[in-house]
Amino acid sequence: MSDRIIFEDVSKFYGEILGVNRVNLSIPPGITSLVGPNGSGKTTLMNLMTGLVKPSRGRIEVLGHPTDDPENLFKFVGYSTQFDAFPKGLTGFQFIYSYLCLSGMPLQDAERTTWQTIERVNMVDAASRKVAAYSKGMRQRIRLAQALAHNPKVLVLDEPLNGLDPLARSEMIALFRASAAEGCYVIISSHILHEVDVISDQVILLSNGYVVAEGQIQSVRSEIQEHPTQILIRCDRPRELAAKLFESETTIEASIHNDGHGLLLKTRDADRFYLAMNQLALNGIQVESIAPADDDVLSVYEYLIGNEEVVR
Amino acid sequence: MAVYRRNYRPYSGTQTSEWSRFLVLFRYSRRNLFRSKVQTGFFVLCFFYPIACLVMIYLAHSASFLAKLGVPSQLISIDNMFFFRYMSVQGVLAFLMTAFAGPGLISPDLANGALPLYFCRPFSRAEYVLGKSSVLGILLSQITWIPGVILFAIQASFAGASWTWNNLWIAGSLVVASLIWIAILSLLAMALSAWVKWRIVAGALLLALMFFGAGFAQAINAVMHTDSGHFVDVGYLTAAVWIGLFKVEAENSITAFPALIALLVYCSICLLLLMRKVRAYEVIR
Repeated sequence: MSDRIIFEDVSKFYGEILGVNRVNLSIPPGITSLVGPNGSGKTTLMNLMTGLVKPSRGRIEVLGHPTDDPENLFKFVGYSTQFDAFPKGLTGFQFIYSYLCLSGMPLQDAERTTWQTIERVNMVDAASRKVAAYSKGMRQRIRLAQALAHNPKVLVLDEPLNGLDPLARSEMIALFRASAAEGCYVIISSHILHEVDVISDQVILLSNGYVVAEGQIQSVRSEIQEHPTQILIRCDRPRELAAKLFESETTIEASIHNDGHGLLLKTRDADRFYLAMNQLALNGIQVESIAPADDDVLSVYEYLIGNEEVVR
Repeated sequence: MAVYRRNYRPYSGTQTSEWSRFLVLFRYSRRNLFRSKVQTGFFVLCFFYPIACLVMIYLAHSASFLAKLGVPSQLISIDNMFFFRYMSVQGVLAFLMTAFAGPGLISPDLANGALPLYFCRPFSRAEYVLGKSSVLGILLSQITWIPGVILFAIQASFAGASWTWNNLWIAGSLVVASLIWIAILSLLAMALSAWVKWRIVAGALLLALMFFGAGFAQAINAVMHTDSGHFVDVGYLTAAVWIGLFKVEAENSITAFPALIALLVYCSICLLLLMRKVRAYEVIR
C-alpha cells in the first residue's frame, strides 16, 4: 500500500471553468503547504483529495485508497473547510460530537473523544457556548478540532491561519507540528507566506489551476534559473569585497547596506560564488555571515507567480 | 527531511451501521424545530381536529346519549367521507406546518457553507436528504396518518369485526394519501430551501406555489378552454388522488391515475433540483 497522497494527471473542470489541470503530485508525510493566489485551484485540490469532487480526468489515491470510497477514506482523512461552515445553533461540544456521530462513532465513544479533542485545541471553557458566539480564532480552532477529532492520518486544512491573531496562530502551528511529528500528513493552504515558509516541510505552488512548482523550497529556488540568486553578506569591508566579486562574470549586481557593513549580491551561479568567497575570506576580509536572501516561499512565489495577493 | 515518530493511533472502536447515521441529522433538526414556541403551539393545534373526530366517533356509537340530546343518530356517519374530510383538514394543517418548518431545513446549511463538513465523512448526499426529509416525514406523519389510523382503530373497536373487514381499505387509503402528500410537501419544501437561502422567502414561495398554482391553473383553463391547466396545481392533483383513494363522489376533471403520475413528475423534479444544489462545493460563475 502506498504511503503517499498521489495525483496522476488529474484535471478538474466545473463545466467550462478550470479547477486544476494535469496535476501530478506525490505528497509525503509532514506539513505540505499549498500556495497560490485566489482561484489558483488550492481548494479544488483539497476537495479532490478528500473525494468531495470527482476528477474530470486522472487518478487520485490517498495512502493507497481511492477517493470515491468515503466509508474507508474518512476513517483516516480529516478536512477543515475554508468558510465558516457551522450548522446553526450548535455549541462547540455539539459541533464536534454530532460530526463524530455522523462519522459512525457510537455515542459514548463520541462523547469521550469530543472532550479529548476539545482539550487538545484548548477550548474546554468555551465548549458549552454556541459556535456563533465564538471569536474568529476560536472558530478556527473548533473547526480544526472537528477535523482532528477522529485522529485522522491525513489532515487537510483550508486556510487554517486566516484571520488569526499571532498567539492563536502560534497555537495552531504548534498543533500542526504536533500532528506532523506523529507521522500525519498535514496539508495546508495559505496566503501567509512567511508562516508557510517556517512551518512547511514542502510546498506546492499553484497558479491558474496548474502546479508551477513543488518540493522543498530551497530545491525549488535552485531550479529557478532566470532570477539571479540573492545573497546577503555581512562583513567589515563590503566595498572591497564587491569589487573583488565583480571580477567574476557571474556577479550581476551588488548593493552596499546603509550601515556600511553589509552587501546584497546578485549572482547567476551561487556555487561559484561560494567557492569564490572561500578564497576572499582567506585574503583578510572578515566575513561575519553569508545567507541566501531569496530562497524563501515569498521570493519563489514572486518569481513564479507574481506578487498578487501575497501576505508578507 | 524530518524523521517522524510513527505514534499515530487512529480510532479503532466499533462503528455504528451506515443506515442509522441519517438519524443524527434528524435528531438535531427536530430539536431546532421545536425551539420555536410558535412551531410547538401550531403542532399542538394540529391535534384539535383529530380530537374532535374522536368525540364524533364516540358520539356516533352512543345512540342513547344522542337521543337525549335530540340529535338523530344517522347525522354522524363514520365512513369513507368522514375520513376523507379528516384527511382534507389535516392535509391543510400539514401544508401550513411544512411552510413553517420546511424552508429552514437546508437553507441554513447552505448559507453557512456547512455542506462540505457533512460530506467529508462517510455520509452521502442521499443520506443528507433522507436525514433532513425524515424530520418533515415524521412530523407530518404525526399529524396525518398516525392519528388517522388510531381513529380508524377506535372506530373499528366500536363498530365490530364486520365493519372493520369491509372498510379496512380506508385505513390503507389514509396511509397512502398521507404518504403521497408528505412526500410532495417535503420535497417541495426542501427543494425551495436548497435554492432560496432566505428561510422566510422560501416559506413564502411554498405558499405562493400552492395558491398561485391554483390561480394559474384557472387562468390556463379559462384562456385555453381546457381542463389541463389543473396539472400545474399541486393541491388539485393531490385532491384528485385522494378522491380516488377514498372513493368519494366529488367533481374533479382529472382522475386519480394521471394526477398521481403528475405528482410523481413533480417529486422527481424536486429531487433533481435538490441533488443539483446539495453538493460539497458551489461553482461561482
